[in-house]
Amino acid sequence: MQSAAPFSRRRRQILQWLSTGCGCAMCGSIDAQILGYDLYATEIASKTWAVHGQPEYFEIGNGGNIVNVAFIEVPDGIVVIDTGPSKRYGEALLALIERTVPGKEILRVYNTHHHPDHFLGNQVFQPETIAAPQKVIDNINAEGDGFTDNLYRLLGDWMRGTLVVAPGVALEATSEEVGGRNFSLFYLDGHTSADFVIRDDETGVLFSGDLAFLYRAPTTPHANIPRWTAAIETLTEIDRDLILPGHGPSDPKGESLSQTSDYLSWLDGNLRDAVGQGFTMNEAMLMPIPKRFAGLGVVRTEYERSVVHLFQDLEDELFQVIDVVRD
Amino acid sequence: MITTINRIVASIFVLLVSVQSLQAREVQADPLNSVMWNNMVERFMPDGDVIFDPRVKVIAPVSAEDQFYVPITVDATELENVDRVIAVADLNPIPLVLTVTPHQALSFIGFRLKLQQSSPIHVGVRTTDGVWHVGGVLVDAAGGGCTAPAAAHMNSNWMKTLGETRAFAGRDLSGSARMTLRMRHPMDTGLAAGIPAFYLNELSVETEDGVPIADLELFEPVSENPTLTIKPDVGDEATTITVSGRDTEGNNYRFPLSLPAVAAAAASRTN
Repeated sequence: MQSAAPFSRRRRQILQWLSTGCGCAMCGSIDAQILGYDLYATEIASKTWAVHGQPEYFEIGNGGNIVNVAFIEVPDGIVVIDTGPSKRYGEALLALIERTVPGKEILRVYNTHHHPDHFLGNQVFQPETIAAPQKVIDNINAEGDGFTDNLYRLLGDWMRGTLVVAPGVALEATSEEVGGRNFSLFYLDGHTSADFVIRDDETGVLFSGDLAFLYRAPTTPHANIPRWTAAIETLTEIDRDLILPGHGPSDPKGESLSQTSDYLSWLDGNLRDAVGQGFTMNEAMLMPIPKRFAGLGVVRTEYERSVVHLFQDLEDELFQVIDVVRD
Repeated sequence: MITTINRIVASIFVLLVSVQSLQAREVQADPLNSVMWNNMVERFMPDGDVIFDPRVKVIAPVSAEDQFYVPITVDATELENVDRVIAVADLNPIPLVLTVTPHQALSFIGFRLKLQQSSPIHVGVRTTDGVWHVGGVLVDAAGGGCTAPAAAHMNSNWMKTLGETRAFAGRDLSGSARMTLRMRHPMDTGLAAGIPAFYLNELSVETEDGVPIADLELFEPVSENPTLTIKPDVGDEATTITVSGRDTEGNNYRFPLSLPAVAAAAASRTN
């Protein structure tokens, strides 16, 4: 798990809020200006830094900083993986990169998939440096505005000025060289309809995006569980020294893959059982979660969300088809 | 001048009469402080005392993950002699969601509704003495559940699958019969641009011999592809239940559903 440091940083953030007497994000531009992400870079491999988010859901208290972002110093510049939930986060990330590795040019920014916590910081980077598979770009164009609206609702002023910027470069090669470093690129799906995984061939760090979660419950708004499970199988077979999951601590042992796979398999089986008994969604939401998942952040919340995401397809699959007489 | 006095006298009279009729029944204040509570009572629970009763359990998520499908389960099985159940979403542009008249069914209903914004959901359960027993819950939601086109309209041939039905019919661990019906229907509210209201509005559940089990009236806020769970009170033996429905364009839908015996259901679980 993460050290105590990020927790106390978050506490400071909340105290900062309270000390200004501002309980909501809408009550004035002066108070709102104090909103700031206190990002911290952890060197997880040589010249490779992770910026860990909280193992939580989007809340005013965390500003949506729930995601892992990373940057790498390659021989001729910087490569960034994912950009966070807001323009303000993007700005903080840029500043953090500049503090950590001053004076380097950002050559490439990868977006692993189209979920808002992973790409809404794109705005502060040059669009022609931002790259993703075409399908990720399509998903961002189709759903990005809706995500942004919803995050404004959940996060208020943290989202100020945030606009959707889709990657300017569509990738299809299985590898590319950026600034003197070779990256292997994997085109998978299952967490969403397009999940993009990047491996730094020099350090062996695998940036799994949200195909892998660790000590934070996996999210399923666009999930296809059989495809996701297959994608995890694929990741298991890729040579690597370390995984940076989309959420949770960096993972030298591949625990994020087995934990995510275990959770998904339980989730699918449990919901099939619920649908098989004709449960309502509300009854399914009340079902117990096995103790082995108790250490996954926000597991009850995510389980309840997953019921809504997955239940209806299972009803269509498992219920008896009825011959209806029409007149 | 005289006309004015007459008007004043008349309005005082009207006022007194209306105060009188309000005092004639008890209407408890809403613990959820809904600004629409009095309006909901006047429109949908026009007669009888209205009391909040913990025996009316309304189960809903605190926050709607999907404003088009907000799952609600109502369990008022602790109440005896229930003759009507109604559900309203106070802040929806069309608040009335559904009514249930249980004849030979437990006062239990599962359904999904569309929410236009965060709203209190109130469920009134009327007992045969005329008293409304009410439960409620607040659901936080993103906006727009009632004014966006149904997902069906993204499919060019949605009319082909209209009325397609899937169902579950089985027994709880307690032996109670339970059925969940799921029918393809856009349940158009009429509030999305260019799409008139079109929804399944009547559903009757009967025994094989035509004895009514439950009658449901559905309204615009019921989610697309309505999925309804009810508990018929039809004994332990295997039986066939007849379901008939009708939508606002006069399409009729009718189908039988086989309910297993308690023993058979228990045996299939142990297998």
